[in-house]
Amino acid sequence: MGLFEKFEGTAAQLKGLLAASPRDPFSVSMDEMKGPTRAIVKGKEIVLAGTNNYLGLTFQKDAIDAASEAVKTSGTGTTGSRFANGTYAAHRQLEKDLAKFLGYEHCIVFSTGYQANLGAISALAQPPHDVILIDADCHACIYDGCQLSGAETIRFRHNDPESLDKRLSRLSRDVKGKLVCIEGMYSMFGDVAPVKEFVEVAHKHGAYLLLDEAHSFGVFGDHGQGVCEADGVRDQVDFYTGTFSKSLASIGGFVASNHPELEYLRFSSRPYMFTASPSPANIAAASTALAKISSDNSMRERLWDNAERIHAAFTQLGFELCAGVGPVIAVKLANREQAFMAWNMLMESGVYVNLAIPPGTPNATSILRLSVSAAHTENDLDIVVNAYTNLSQMLAKEKAET
Amino acid sequence: MTAIQEDDDLVFHKISSLLGPLNEKGVKLTRDTDIIADLEIDSVSLLDVVMDIEDNYDISIPVNTISEIKTIGELVDAIHKIKKEQS
Repeated sequence: MGLFEKFEGTAAQLKGLLAASPRDPFSVSMDEMKGPTRAIVKGKEIVLAGTNNYLGLTFQKDAIDAASEAVKTSGTGTTGSRFANGTYAAHRQLEKDLAKFLGYEHCIVFSTGYQANLGAISALAQPPHDVILIDADCHACIYDGCQLSGAETIRFRHNDPESLDKRLSRLSRDVKGKLVCIEGMYSMFGDVAPVKEFVEVAHKHGAYLLLDEAHSFGVFGDHGQGVCEADGVRDQVDFYTGTFSKSLASIGGFVASNHPELEYLRFSSRPYMFTASPSPANIAAASTALAKISSDNSMRERLWDNAERIHAAFTQLGFELCAGVGPVIAVKLANREQAFMAWNMLMESGVYVNLAIPPGTPNATSILRLSVSAAHTENDLDIVVNAYTNLSQMLAKEKAET
Repeated sequence: MTAIQEDDDLVFHKISSLLGPLNEKGVKLTRDTDIIADLEIDSVSLLDVVMDIEDNYDISIPVNTISEIKTIGELVDAIHKIKKEQS
């Protein structure tokens, strides 16, 4: 009995919110996939506008062929850790390809993006002499990496290099290693870090910078290397982490670096050693998507065109947006109840977006997170804009009545 | 002794004023108030209040320390300890 009491408060709160909600936003089942931007949910075709499929490569023909071929030639799973029997030639090759694409000397592939951050942070920083400094809005896997590390962890204000500077200045001289963790683009609001300023502050204090480009890889920079490329500081980032489950349309993760010591992680990072390696199909799909991104800028261009269209339309409709033009366009709502209502209304209009409520969001805001894809067609975007037009009219009506 | 007592009160009052906007039920704040359970706020909101405290006193309070703190009194004591260490 005592084991479950702690869940009761949250369960009751969720039950209250769901009681007034025709659909449950947290247990939507995509009954049938119709392509990168469409799915059947409860018998109705909807436009997917709440994914991380930024470049729209999940149904790309070459990637599907390569993944199918990999299953036939290398089997359905590796059944082992990278550290034991789970490293195939394809895992090694993908590490080389990623390092080359990003311009780093070294790269290690993990089984998920979550584990890449968990594995890098927990292995790099160790108590009692190392300190980790993290942006307040960092993803849960960065917080969890700190916890697994056990090293002293200090938060600084979101996207505020001065706040980091102050905290680095306060550190005792006994501190040995200092690891600063930030993200390129933040997944919930879509806001972008001033990476150049963070690099300067971190290095001024002799700290290493770990940059998570999970959501910005393939999307930012002239070659799709991320926010650090756009900021002109890619070669100054100490540890670059990323994932296969967004622009690379597969599942897996990686850490890249110019520090040869990165290789130490292969025998010291628990999330690398004590889990099975990515399956051959996942590796083949990610490798093919990477080759596609390396040779073709058109998807990135389409993504940004689509992002501009949606951002302009939502601005004109009067929505309060969480960031400037980018692949994530989040609309702020007044409270949880209004966000649930708005989410349901969009589903009725045939549009799926992500509902995000506190404490999973910064500053206790309730948002509808929309993500744009290069695969969104004009027709997809028309449906999205129509649905949000209806929503804005309903919110205006509701406001007029109160 | 008197000086410490007074300082202690100042820190307590500062924390109380920062928690004020989150204290929606108007719970009377004492040293024994359990910040998360009694005020029904989430752990992220507590971290944000601590950020304000850090800037106010020009100290860094590690997340590891915050996760061990339950009551306002424990937070007051932690601030005094860190102020001493980091000054």
